[in-house]
Amino acid sequence: MNLLDLLRDRLGLSGTKCGCEIGECGACTVLLDGEPVNSCLVLAPQIAGRQVLTVEGLAPEGGLHPLQESFLDHDAAHCGFCTPGMLLSAKALLDWNPRPTEGEIRRAISGNLCRCTGYQQIVAAIEKASAS
Amino acid sequence: MKPFEYIAVHTIAEACDALAAHGAETRLLAGGTDLLIELRRGSKKAPRVVLDISGVAEMAGIAESGAHITLGPLTTHAELARSELLREFAPLLGEAAAAIGSPQIRARGTVGGNIMNAAACADTVPPLIALGATVALQSKAGCRELALADLFVKPYQTRANADELLTAVRFPKPGPGARSAFIKLGRRNALAISRLSVAAMLELGKDGRITEARIVPGAAFPTWQRVTEAERLLLGEMPGEPLFASAGRKVSEEMIKATGRRWSTEYKEPGYLRHHQWPAAHAHSPRQHEPARPPAGPPGPLGHQVRL
Ligand SMILES: Cc1cc2nc3c(=O)[nH]c(=O)nc-3n(C[C@H](O)[C@H](O)[C@H](O)COP(=O)(O)OP(=O)(O)OC[C@H]3O[C@@H](n4cnc5c(N)ncnc54)[C@H](O)[C@@H]3O)c2cc1C
Ligand code: FES
Ligand code: FES
Repeated sequence: MNLLDLLRDRLGLSGTKCGCEIGECGACTVLLDGEPVNSCLVLAPQIAGRQVLTVEGLAPEGGLHPLQESFLDHDAAHCGFCTPGMLLSAKALLDWNPRPTEGEIRRAISGNLCRCTGYQQIVAAIEKASAS
Repeated sequence: MKPFEYIAVHTIAEACDALAAHGAETRLLAGGTDLLIELRRGSKKAPRVVLDISGVAEMAGIAESGAHITLGPLTTHAELARSELLREFAPLLGEAAAAIGSPQIRARGTVGGNIMNAAACADTVPPLIALGATVALQSKAGCRELALADLFVKPYQTRANADELLTAVRFPKPGPGARSAFIKLGRRNALAISRLSVAAMLELGKDGRITEARIVPGAAFPTWQRVTEAERLLLGEMPGEPLFASAGRKVSEEMIKATGRRWSTEYKEPGYLRHHQWPAAHAHSPRQHEPARPPAGPPGPLGHQVRL
């Protein structure tokens, strides 16, 4: 079983999305010890002793993460399917590079496909969240 | 996914014991970016055992020892891309790694998996061959070392036996007169499996003339090979644009000789012509590497990628 199925089917954490299951869409992105990975390509037992962050763990109890606020403000989630993965890739970026350039933002989300937005709003949302 | 037995090992010795016991029905698991896709596809040769070597600490990391650099096969593409040591001694390898897949793939995919999967488009292989790398294969019976260029039989097939584990990748540190370049032509900037790439290493003598040249195209020939005909054109010459253009033409000619004209030839051929015009291959100094950063996960620049 892969980590994606473990999260969704066994643990009921359906925030992580299942798209292509071959590492290409990034909808299943989670942070493994702080690094963005495709959970569809991680075998479940490989996370033993390691920390996994899913979108459910992003926001503080009862609130939203600044990235989520910014995505709302910028209309950066349309259908929303790519959003959990985008948020986690963006969080990984800002954690080690709090003031990224636009180019760095685009590279950081280059493994996350969005069929709705054309990326412009997403990049703007991440840029704004980094500045605040 | 067909059911299989999962075994995790933590030392090379444990891995060799497990391979000696059931090597033929076993697949090794490192970063899983190739293997999980295969398991999911459920090919007929589904393994009975998946042996997880990702926790074998002695197979991780990049080390400098005397005149050599040694890569643990578990070194990830992200680690290659941000290594200071590679930036100094093998920038073409760091750049090749930075251009692989996506941040997510680079965080998991390993150089050992890239080599042993032996896809024709494996991006770390041409730079490593250009660097003159050797690989160490270990089994319970002992260890043997062979040139990376001799490891491959054909795409997806290596000369490693079923009970052998890749435990190290080594290459000599290039001298101070070394110049190198890695260029990848993909269809778009991220998640572009190489349609075409070329790694080149040049050594320059005191008088600035080329004393040694190694040119290794990726994804162009049935297996990786140096293009000695093109290398020969460079020897004894001063580096420069017209010279690189003629070497590029030679690479294209040899590629067509080896593979015949295919549907992709039309763009691969001009690809080499164009790409041999790079600025005298850059000296061994920082270029497009991923920036240094704290231990937790990096998305990084994509290295030299040229859009078609
Ligand atoms: C979306 C996507 C994009 C990709 N883009 C690129 C790209 O741009 N360029 C590129 O080159 N590749 C690319 N890849 C392929 C893949 O990521 C790389 O080949 C990666 O380096 C494989 O390493 P791994 O550790 O994940 O291998 P695994 O999947 O763990 O293993 C691959 C194979 O190698 C064997 N193996 C692994 N380690 C050892 C060892 N130490 N000794 C013996 N055998 C071993 C395994 O048994 C298996 O057969 C991409 C893959 C995906 C899914
Ligand atoms: S579902 Fe994992 S990358 Fe698409
Ligand atoms: S918002 Fe629909 S895929 Fe990105």
